Amino acid sequence: MSGWSRPRHMPVTNAELTTLAASHDIINLGMRADEVRRRRHGTRTTFVRVASVPAEPRGPLVLPSATGEIRIGGAPASRQAAVERVREVIAASRGIPVSAFSLADLELLATRESVTLRSLLEDLRAAGLELVADAPYDLLHDPRRSIEEANIAGLTLARLTVHRSSSPDTLPLLKAVTELQRSVAVIRAFAPLARTTSPSMPTTGYEDVKRVALARLVVDNVPSIQVDWALYGPKLAQIALTVGADDVDGVSAEDDMTEGRRRGPLEEIRRNIRAAGLEPVERNGRFEAVAG
Amino acid sequence: MTIDQIADKVKGGGRIDAGEALDLFRHAPTPLLGQLADVVRARKHRDGLVTYIIDRNVNYTNVCVARCNFCAFYRRVGSPEGYVLGFDELFRKIDETIAVGGGQLLLQGGHNPDLPLAWYEDLFRAVKARYPSFKLHALSPPEVIHLSRLSQLAVPDVIDHLIAAGLDSIPGGGAEILVDRVRRLLHCDGKATSDEWLDVMRHAHRAGLRTTATMMYGTVETDEERLEHLLRLRALQDETGGFTAFITWSYQPAHTERGGVEATGLDYLRTLATARIVLDNFDNVQASWVTQGGKVGQLGLAFGANDMGSVMIEENVVRAAGASYCMDEVEIVRNIEAAGFVPKRRNMHYEILGDPICRERDVPRMLELATSRDEGDTHVPDELAKYPARSRGGKQLRLIQH
Ligand code: SF4
Repeated sequence: MSGWSRPRHMPVTNAELTTLAASHDIINLGMRADEVRRRRHGTRTTFVRVASVPAEPRGPLVLPSATGEIRIGGAPASRQAAVERVREVIAASRGIPVSAFSLADLELLATRESVTLRSLLEDLRAAGLELVADAPYDLLHDPRRSIEEANIAGLTLARLTVHRSSSPDTLPLLKAVTELQRSVAVIRAFAPLARTTSPSMPTTGYEDVKRVALARLVVDNVPSIQVDWALYGPKLAQIALTVGADDVDGVSAEDDMTEGRRRGPLEEIRRNIRAAGLEPVERNGRFEAVAG
Repeated sequence: MTIDQIADKVKGGGRIDAGEALDLFRHAPTPLLGQLADVVRARKHRDGLVTYIIDRNVNYTNVCVARCNFCAFYRRVGSPEGYVLGFDELFRKIDETIAVGGGQLLLQGGHNPDLPLAWYEDLFRAVKARYPSFKLHALSPPEVIHLSRLSQLAVPDVIDHLIAAGLDSIPGGGAEILVDRVRRLLHCDGKATSDEWLDVMRHAHRAGLRTTATMMYGTVETDEERLEHLLRLRALQDETGGFTAFITWSYQPAHTERGGVEATGLDYLRTLATARIVLDNFDNVQASWVTQGGKVGQLGLAFGANDMGSVMIEENVVRAAGASYCMDEVEIVRNIEAAGFVPKRRNMHYEILGDPICRERDVPRMLELATSRDEGDTHVPDELAKYPARSRGGKQLRLIQH
């Protein structure tokens, strides 16, 4: 795939990064990250509409026509249940890319069932699975090895994520992710904001902006810095797009009007991206642009 | 002038005019707007302090005859969901506020035809009798106008009556956009035209009260009208100097008659920054976490805000329109510090009261804001029987009460 090579100019030195990470000047930091993002993607901002379906076999399976990625979420109960569910969803998928499970859950499942992760992944691939939904860096037992196993099994990793922000100092984590990509080279998108935060002490706006911006500056070998629309909300997600992020995950595939006279999710995401002076491009789970 | 020239003017401490403000708002890159707003904030607040207040945001009634089409909070006269809080309920709320270190109620409500001026005066007197040092930041300009109409007294006289009863300051609510074209479209020109809103504030300032000013943007106004609002506030502030602070928030569309969509997070930061730059004679600009959420609220500190507003304790209006964020003192303090500022408690006059209460003693965490009343509580306060009602429904209710 193109665009995976390291940029010729390292945007910032290590010493500068440390200073930027310690500073409260999020505007300056955001501008630096935005420069790097624009050098790489211009104003192009991709988003994907996701239909989430549960992991249980014979569970609900609603697939709106606008879906760009079907994501099987939750931990599978067993190897057999995982394979069965993938088969079901693939059969109903009408060619829409299907992603499933967290690589960390698959590591655990393999251990529980005393099989190798590789053979589990190969089973899923044989059942038709194309994408592993996510690899939570901080939950993986052996990130490098597990991601390589997925690759060897013929599966693509949809995104690298972070489960929980354990430390406010993000630089070590971001550098580790860069190192990881240096050896695996298959990470297409990295979502640096934690998937779970404490309700009594959520991360702050400054922390989130810093993390996204630093991710863009440090993780220079991963093409896309991603932010989750549903998890972080339109306001923060939009701001993230101006400080280094270029891809929006988790836009609802349902185009209903349940929120009174509110417009549907498609119009909402496009409006937010355009209002940030950027150009919205809908993509599917394979990162292919969707016509329309 | 180019954007760079306007930016230089702002950095040099110059005042920008309407055209320059419009150019900045429309064309300046967001980081530049933030940097300029930060220059103005830092010039006024060299000490790196960011303040907040512990007070409770109480809505004494939701019954309203104004029927603004952007409002999800009000109920019509006679609605079974309409309520008026009793004096004892308000005292209980004050007790709870004092218990968490608060010293003020922000008291606003609908234009209820069955609450005459005497009800307000009696309430304020009763509060001051029980809690002599407790402050009443109460009744936005449209409520004052409503009382003026009900009581057939001129606005300055209503203000005098209220001050005599214990009113300490006036909140800047109900300003929306101070342009009558917009007010007509929002169906809020009846409650107060732009001039009427500004006049109430002028009278209040002359009577020695300090007030705040607000702006609700993101409905039907043009960019020019948003800026005209700011310029009208700036002109009155030049005249009276009575505004302590400016607060802006985006229209919250859920469950309103008007509907539509909410302005984006970036629009909030740009509007906030532009306001800080234009309102060069306002000392304080608040971030609105209650409408934007804690994260974007905190980011407001990089875009000109020097105050995190109130812990609120209770909130009914924004919640009715679909947003339900919560920040207790612990959260506000943590957010201020995470942005590199020093948190200080203040009063309505922006006098520093001290360090965070939560640093001095254990304060129970508050992860959800209270509401005016528990769901299903429809009781009618006994003391209402003492006050003549205007509406037919109100009169019937009084008869039953007697
Ligand atoms: S905004 Fe105030 S005046 Fe307008 S309808 Fe709502 S409660 Fe009444």
